[in-house]
Amino acid sequence: MDYEALDFYEIDSLLSDEERMVRDMVRDWVDEEVIPNIENACREGVFPDEWRVALGEMGVLGAPLQGYGCPGLSYTAYGVICRELERGDSGLRSFASVQGSLAMYPIWDFGSEEQKNHYLPKMASGEWIGCFGLTEPDYGSNPGDMITKAEDIGDHYLLNGAKMWITNGTIAEVAVVWAKLDGEIRGFIVERNDPGFTAPEMKGKHSLKASVTSELVFQDCKIPKDRILPGVKGLRGPFSCLNNARFGISWGAIGSAQACFHSAKDYSMSRIQFDHPIASYQLVQNKLAWMLREITKAQLLAYHLGQKKDAGNWIPEHISLAKMNNVDIALEIARVARDIHGANGILDEYPVMRHMANLESVKTYEGTHDIHNLIIGRYITGIQAFTREA
Amino acid sequence: MNIIVLLKQVPDTTAKISISSGYMDESTITKWSMSPYDEFALESALQLRQNCNGNLIAITCGPDRCSKMLTDAAAVGTDKLIHIHHEGYLDSIQTQTLLVAAIKKFEGEVIMCGKQAADTNSGSTGPGVAELIGASCITHVSEVKYENEELIATRLNSLGFEIISTSPPSIFAFDKGVKELRRPNVRGIMMAKKKEITRLTPEDLGVSLTNSNINLISQMPPSEKAPGKKYEGTDSIREIVSKLRDEANVI
Repeated sequence: MDYEALDFYEIDSLLSDEERMVRDMVRDWVDEEVIPNIENACREGVFPDEWRVALGEMGVLGAPLQGYGCPGLSYTAYGVICRELERGDSGLRSFASVQGSLAMYPIWDFGSEEQKNHYLPKMASGEWIGCFGLTEPDYGSNPGDMITKAEDIGDHYLLNGAKMWITNGTIAEVAVVWAKLDGEIRGFIVERNDPGFTAPEMKGKHSLKASVTSELVFQDCKIPKDRILPGVKGLRGPFSCLNNARFGISWGAIGSAQACFHSAKDYSMSRIQFDHPIASYQLVQNKLAWMLREITKAQLLAYHLGQKKDAGNWIPEHISLAKMNNVDIALEIARVARDIHGANGILDEYPVMRHMANLESVKTYEGTHDIHNLIIGRYITGIQAFTREA
Repeated sequence: MNIIVLLKQVPDTTAKISISSGYMDESTITKWSMSPYDEFALESALQLRQNCNGNLIAITCGPDRCSKMLTDAAAVGTDKLIHIHHEGYLDSIQTQTLLVAAIKKFEGEVIMCGKQAADTNSGSTGPGVAELIGASCITHVSEVKYENEELIATRLNSLGFEIISTSPPSIFAFDKGVKELRRPNVRGIMMAKKKEITRLTPEDLGVSLTNSNINLISQMPPSEKAPGKKYEGTDSIREIVSKLRDEANVI
């Protein structure tokens, strides 16, 4: 069955012509190149290199960034790209999120002119893959207490520490790594061949299997002086990257949900039990109607957030709400879709269980669901509840 | 060299077509696309433009909605976009007359189009335009190359492939080509957005549309296909073989 994206309120009619053309370009590519190959990529646990090349050729990496060979699209267009990619697979969208929002963005916003000119064009074209090192084995939701540190040794910096759960780590040429220099968080650009730097791949994931996840290990890793990001100090650096990535995820999750809805609708219309399609039974219709309801609400949330982001009239809490809600409902939709598929739902002939397993990660990364609730709780009450210390 | 590609916007192959009072109801069609054979013509025209350092002009004739298809053509690299604007029905000769007027205005030397449109299937544009401008017409083409200032076309006939050389003015009507239409990229899309579409009316082209002597009496959907039959188990092999051999004539 040809993919028919659920858009009950015709929200895509609010997109600009350019945004719709970008949507169609990415959607066609996902249909032609991703859907036929994704299950194989998952089974082998690889991110197909052709996808890197194609994303670069389409020119969607670092979508909302202007200049330095970057696309210069709207944030709404970036959201649409994430949605269409994640309709294929969350691992694919993760690749694009990390490349654009977590690796290119900090260089674009906080880098020196030389750094921007050196790295951004090759990252926008997909020639160089980037990754983002913030999370550590013992510091996930609490990155401020990170252990990784940088020392100023006169003519260079020395990095020591370890990062974990790093998307694209092993395949990256460029890592944007956050470490404490004299107790203050700073960003450093680490290159693949820097002495003392290794990026072993983490194996055994039941989720995001077509995405590479790695550790980044720094043992007396020597970094030239001109690789510090001059424009930012403190958690504001990594958090501003995460805001953009989370914005993309709030759209991306809708793509997963649309894919699950599409599969569940098709399956329930053709699956006959007790002489009739299961879609003709009230319990199944109730599930499908609930999916449509939640997807439509998520689409409105994402679209409005896109407009606010493009107008520059947003706060991080707006993004927290959309990330939290849209991933939450996407995961629940994937579970219900799996249920509608019955036993067939566990097979890789259908996309639902893959999306379901992927979304478990998406719910956890880029600020867990609970942490986003605490961010909104703090917004409402003015009282932070992350830690017992005031 | 001015290369012109003639494009037609048709209901997307996935669109649901409904009939209202004996005619197709356009208002229910939610997705319009470039006719698939025209896509092959456009891809070949883009390659030819590159090889001969030419200028590629896309011309379409139809209502307002067709502008979007021209923008799509610009996104993959078309240089100039011409929209002959006309709302309502045009017969083949009227369409060809308008296209020819535009081809002359923009001094087209090599003209490419699909062998037929996916909606009307009439297959008359290529030969009809060739007749009106006195150009050679090569149909069912899969590839056109530019070598030593000659145009070399490959066409499929019932015996195999034919290689034909010609020099402008020539018209090539495309069958399935050797290469699918390239995918646009963001840069192309952003440039396409800025590209101006030249809108011309029949009067601008000096064409007065005379009354058509073609009367479209009615349209109806094709009869529904009989449902397929499913066979399971080795017991049915004999029956399947006899059906494939005697009824379907495929073995």
